[in-house]
Amino acid sequence: MTIPTQKELEADVEVRPDGRACVVLRGRLNEQTVPGCWSLLEKELKETKIQTLQVDVSGLSFCNAAGLTLLLYLNMARMTPRATVSVLGLKADLEIIFRELILEDKAFHPQLAIKSDSFVGKIGRKVKQLNRDFQEEMVFLGAIIASLPLSIFHPKRSRWTETHCVVELAGANAVPIVSLMSLLLGFIIAFESARRLAEFGAQLYVANTIMVVMVRDMGPLMTAILLAGRSGSSFAAEIGTMKVNEELNALKTFGLDPIPFLVVPRILAGVFVTPLLTFYSILMGVIGGVIVMLGLGFTLPLILHQLASSVHLNDLGTGIAKSAVFGVIVSAVGCWHGLRTQQGPSAVGLSTTRAVVTSLLLIIVADAFFSAISFLLK
Amino acid sequence: MMNAPDDIAISVKDLTVGYGDTVILQNVNFQVRHGEVFVILGASGSGKSTLLKAMIGLYPPLSGEVWIDGDNLWAAQGKERLALLRRFGVMYQSGALFGSLTVLENVRLPLDEFSDLPDPLKEVAALARLRLVGLDAAADKMPAELSGGMQKRAAIARAMALDPRILFLDEPSAGLDPITSAGIDLLITSLHHFGFTFVIVSHELPSIYSIADRVVMLGSDAQGIIAEGKPAELRDGAANPWVRRFFNRQPDPGHSLEPAGNL
Repeated sequence: MTIPTQKELEADVEVRPDGRACVVLRGRLNEQTVPGCWSLLEKELKETKIQTLQVDVSGLSFCNAAGLTLLLYLNMARMTPRATVSVLGLKADLEIIFRELILEDKAFHPQLAIKSDSFVGKIGRKVKQLNRDFQEEMVFLGAIIASLPLSIFHPKRSRWTETHCVVELAGANAVPIVSLMSLLLGFIIAFESARRLAEFGAQLYVANTIMVVMVRDMGPLMTAILLAGRSGSSFAAEIGTMKVNEELNALKTFGLDPIPFLVVPRILAGVFVTPLLTFYSILMGVIGGVIVMLGLGFTLPLILHQLASSVHLNDLGTGIAKSAVFGVIVSAVGCWHGLRTQQGPSAVGLSTTRAVVTSLLLIIVADAFFSAISFLLK
Repeated sequence: MMNAPDDIAISVKDLTVGYGDTVILQNVNFQVRHGEVFVILGASGSGKSTLLKAMIGLYPPLSGEVWIDGDNLWAAQGKERLALLRRFGVMYQSGALFGSLTVLENVRLPLDEFSDLPDPLKEVAALARLRLVGLDAAADKMPAELSGGMQKRAAIARAMALDPRILFLDEPSAGLDPITSAGIDLLITSLHHFGFTFVIVSHELPSIYSIADRVVMLGSDAQGIIAEGKPAELRDGAANPWVRRFFNRQPDPGHSLEPAGNL
């Protein structure tokens, strides 16, 4: 049977009842003619039980890499399983390349060692991993605690320039976004509470709501969330890139420990900056609420009196103390994931994501812990 | 379109390259013949890589033309330009393998994007390229698991994926030990026998002597070609003393670290 697969190539396919088959190719075997020829051969050969296949290519006037690929595929008996295949009539120069390229079938699907993974095994491995992570985290925490006194009590050995730089990047540069976020937060809380409190004729207490919510919870929490997304991620990416570029190894070979060198300045900056930003956030949130209340017709002295009577200094102290803890969490988690960055192009991205997610989780857990403690102490 | 003589693979005409107002190379002219191993060499900062980037369509020249198989690279647009880009493959200095893909997937990627071959054939084609560079056993490894020399070989296999006739190699031996470097030279020589044309940027003298048919040498001060010919001829008989010093690994007489005398 002669089938012109394309204008440039003719393929004769003969399948005999005794299991012998013969394919004769004539013309040009290139990327244009190979797909058609492949479909034809697959249709003619795949469903039949062929024991020997002879491919005669002496009639080819041109054969390039795509053509050679088809011949290699046939030669590997991928199309005719269990058949003995021979490719005959290649021109001398092509024959040399063809022989060079003959692939063993096992190269196709390398036997990957697949570990049996039972349910219990999975849990065991996960627990082992968690245990290892916990140990590493404790070592990291210990190293930070050990490095802090050295940095604080030996100012000459601290990297204050780096700390100043981080304070500016994480603190001063975050002021515009904190302003906008807190002002809008104040608006939202005031509007939402005003609507509900109006039903009881108690709109004046909007001031109390804003003050309590901003000072005790939303101020520290929202600032910490913003810092986790803005600065925690940048710490992880920065230190992660340094690790990928072997800059951390360079530090170690100088005898410089990355923890006092890179981590401590960021933690000090975090502890310093977060309470300041939180205080500023509370102020902006309250201003947002005051603007709404002025719009509702209350006078400024009345609003200020109401604000002052709604919280104690203790509340502000708790909010600021919380924010300092959140600052440590954001900086430490960012640096920790940066230091744990693996090799590869996605490693830094992965570390950054982990840093933000872990920070957010720990901030919420810490906030819940603070709320429980302050409730129990009252 | 102008047709170049049949044996000319690449023709660089009056090419001026630079960044902004800074001119690095001015009015460079040379031709690369089919089946030739052509090496561009020069001191660090002489504009070798910039010239290569202009020749492969990455960095637009300030003026001049690059003709590949008779077609003007920088004048071609759209599909015509795409077809022209497929006539050559490029191996970058770092290998530039995609780190999230296996070696086989790296080589398969251009085939998946541009070839009409059936999927099983694409896999055979990718594996055949890896076989040519001796890496078929490492097909399922990730690039990070390969040594520097293996990464360069894998990058050569990927450059060959779409069956180009011209291969541009940027510093194929840089950063490799002499044995691995010699292995890359051997690979280039054996691929050369299969009919590939090579344009190689290098300043590794042992490699240049063993593989190059012809070289052009770029000079920073001259902002252009200061010598052209066979490496052994330039070593022994170049008119420019700097070229002779380069080929004989002799230091610049103006820069001596030897003690000036008794202190």
